[in-house]
Amino acid sequence: MFSDYAALIVLLPVLAFVLTLFLGKKLPSGGAPLPIVAIAGSFIISLGIFLEIYPDKTVQQSWYWFAGMNQGTGMNLGILIDPLAVVMLMMVSFVSLLIHIYAVGYMAHDPAKPRYFAETSLFTAAMLAVVLSDNILQFFIAWELVGVCSYLLIGFWYHKPSAAAAAKKAFLVTRIGDVLFLAGIVVLYFNMSKVIESGTFNLEPGNFILQFKSMFEAIPYIDKRQLTIITLLFFGGAVGKSGQFPLHGWLPDAMEGPTTVSALIHAATMVTAGVYLVARTFPMFAAAPDSLLVVAYIGGFTALFAATMGLVMNDIKRVLAYSTVSQLGYMMLALGTAGAVVGAKAVGISMFHLISHAFFKALLFLCAGSVIHAVGTNDIREMGGLFGKMKITATTMLIAALALAGIGIPFLNVGTAGFFSKDAIIEGAFEYAEVKGDFIPYIFAVLAALLTSIYIFRLWFMAFTGSPRSERHSHESPGVMTRPLMILAVFALFFGFAQSGFYNYLETNFELAGVELAAHEGEASHPPVMIVLLPVIVGVLGFLISYAIYHRRMLDMSKFVSSQNPVYKLLLNRYYEPKIGADIIGVKLTHDITAQSGEFVDRKIIDGLVIDNVIGSTTFKIGNTVRKLQTGVVQNYASIVILGVALLVILLKLGGV
Amino acid sequence: MSLYTYLLISAIIFTIGAYGLITQRSGIKILMCIELMLNSANINLVAFSSFNNNSTGQVFALFSIAIAAAEAAIGFAILVALFRVKDTINLDNINILRW
Repeated sequence: MFSDYAALIVLLPVLAFVLTLFLGKKLPSGGAPLPIVAIAGSFIISLGIFLEIYPDKTVQQSWYWFAGMNQGTGMNLGILIDPLAVVMLMMVSFVSLLIHIYAVGYMAHDPAKPRYFAETSLFTAAMLAVVLSDNILQFFIAWELVGVCSYLLIGFWYHKPSAAAAAKKAFLVTRIGDVLFLAGIVVLYFNMSKVIESGTFNLEPGNFILQFKSMFEAIPYIDKRQLTIITLLFFGGAVGKSGQFPLHGWLPDAMEGPTTVSALIHAATMVTAGVYLVARTFPMFAAAPDSLLVVAYIGGFTALFAATMGLVMNDIKRVLAYSTVSQLGYMMLALGTAGAVVGAKAVGISMFHLISHAFFKALLFLCAGSVIHAVGTNDIREMGGLFGKMKITATTMLIAALALAGIGIPFLNVGTAGFFSKDAIIEGAFEYAEVKGDFIPYIFAVLAALLTSIYIFRLWFMAFTGSPRSERHSHESPGVMTRPLMILAVFALFFGFAQSGFYNYLETNFELAGVELAAHEGEASHPPVMIVLLPVIVGVLGFLISYAIYHRRMLDMSKFVSSQNPVYKLLLNRYYEPKIGADIIGVKLTHDITAQSGEFVDRKIIDGLVIDNVIGSTTFKIGNTVRKLQTGVVQNYASIVILGVALLVILLKLGGV
Repeated sequence: MSLYTYLLISAIIFTIGAYGLITQRSGIKILMCIELMLNSANINLVAFSSFNNNSTGQVFALFSIAIAAAEAAIGFAILVALFRVKDTINLDNINILRW
């Protein structure tokens, strides 16, 4: 029953977008109730569909869109809700709903509320459309729409130059990935139509060329090298959207937007679209092991690389942003490493981390928002001692931090969401290391786990403990803000217990689509005790290090934290990535070389030689001569008309009419 | 009188009108010349109508006269307005659209 209304999941927030944009000013709190009701509707439908299709059904709807040149090259619009999509749908609509409710309090004093709620509503619609697309073209369209909304919302306070610049940077950097993704679709389309034309692969009637199921069916017939190129291009898109190295720079800058936007878009949903893309097209990646290797290495490297920068940032949101980049790296790592050894189960591992990360990272951001709301600054050096004043925020943030650090009790299987999800990733990386003899991704993952724990507890200790470092009288946020925090905290604590059911459900995803994924069979042995314990040990170790340094002040950090220390300087300057991006690529390469030489060709050669001298002057000369014909004397015109008619009569006579 | 007589008279009037249209400079004279040309066409219509025993042509001529009256009214109104602005109706001096 609910599955008949699957299209409404997207259409309700779109409707709310239109209504809020035009009527928001006249409604209470900037029209916020409209998107809240619409997204609640989306969530209820998603939940209903989940209950309907669990455990072994899918929803597929398809509408004809336009025809192609040849048989079977047309396009469709469609909905595909399989296990992978339905868990994402529930997560996106649920987190979005909570953040919208929270935003009623957080944005209460902003005059541009209707615009805010309209844009976040459109964003939610676009993100849900990404999730339930059944073909890659529709996926791409929604993907771009998500990018536009991200641009609009990062630049929400566009009167701030830094926000406008950050929005531009985010748009341009993700665009690099988007172009690669589009190129991937083009190469895929080319290969698909080639195998269809040559007759080696036949499209089933009613299927369209770019539908995911057609793509998966055609995998065995496509040339392996081409498949590697396609998947690498797809991964390029994912790198841009999910802020993986080397396109990670936009995500920390995106923190210029409102904190709620950071929580919704740059923590829980949009940035995970890249991971979702890789998970969605996972059978193709599985058939191209070289691409999986790239995914594993980029993901692992990003996880560690971003975590090092998280250690030194002083802006509370930047720390969280680097943490997001790092955790997204983990998800990629899971797809790349576990994907190579356990097949479809890797999608479950990665998606489980994605969803538990969405809960605790959205929670972290919303807590940060609550703190910023109270203190009025982003700088953690000016906070401190907030625990007494903001008990709910401090407690929920501690829960989120424990989840991010992956703290739990091994063997008893009790722990936070991150404990289960991160453990599974690290164990997957270990299994990969054992099978392939390649320990590098595993080492990346463990080191990143240690750093994660250090930076998140540094943040927590600096913000909530010690003595206050600013004069401001801070107070707990209103109930409309703290209640979403508590709900998310419950999920951050207990979502982990859904683990085995989640894995079993997601594992069926590609079987339902009729795709067989070869899984590595063989030593399915339990990893050594040390390996199981290690993630928790490094998590606790990180906690203790942070406790010693930032709470007990046992170490004098002034030697490390100074501009004399080259490592600190390198990290604080974010590996000089903004400088490289702006000065070398932006100014030197793009402006000085490309744009300047383009201007030279345009102004001097095309304008100078061709237009001014040849085309321009000739046209002017002819025009000067011809305009003499327009005498402005009525009699001349009349004579010519009469002459013309006379000529016509004579011609007709000669023609014998 | 044969049909050709009427056609001849009509042709003469039309030619006079066309000649005047080309040679005259005064706006009023040009309007009058246009009237001449229109009425020569009316003569043709009535002549053909009467020789063919078909009244359509006469009805048409009446239409044409009525429209000519409207056209003359508008034309003269324009000339009066022009005269008020420019103090002349000599069309040689009314050439602001010229290059």
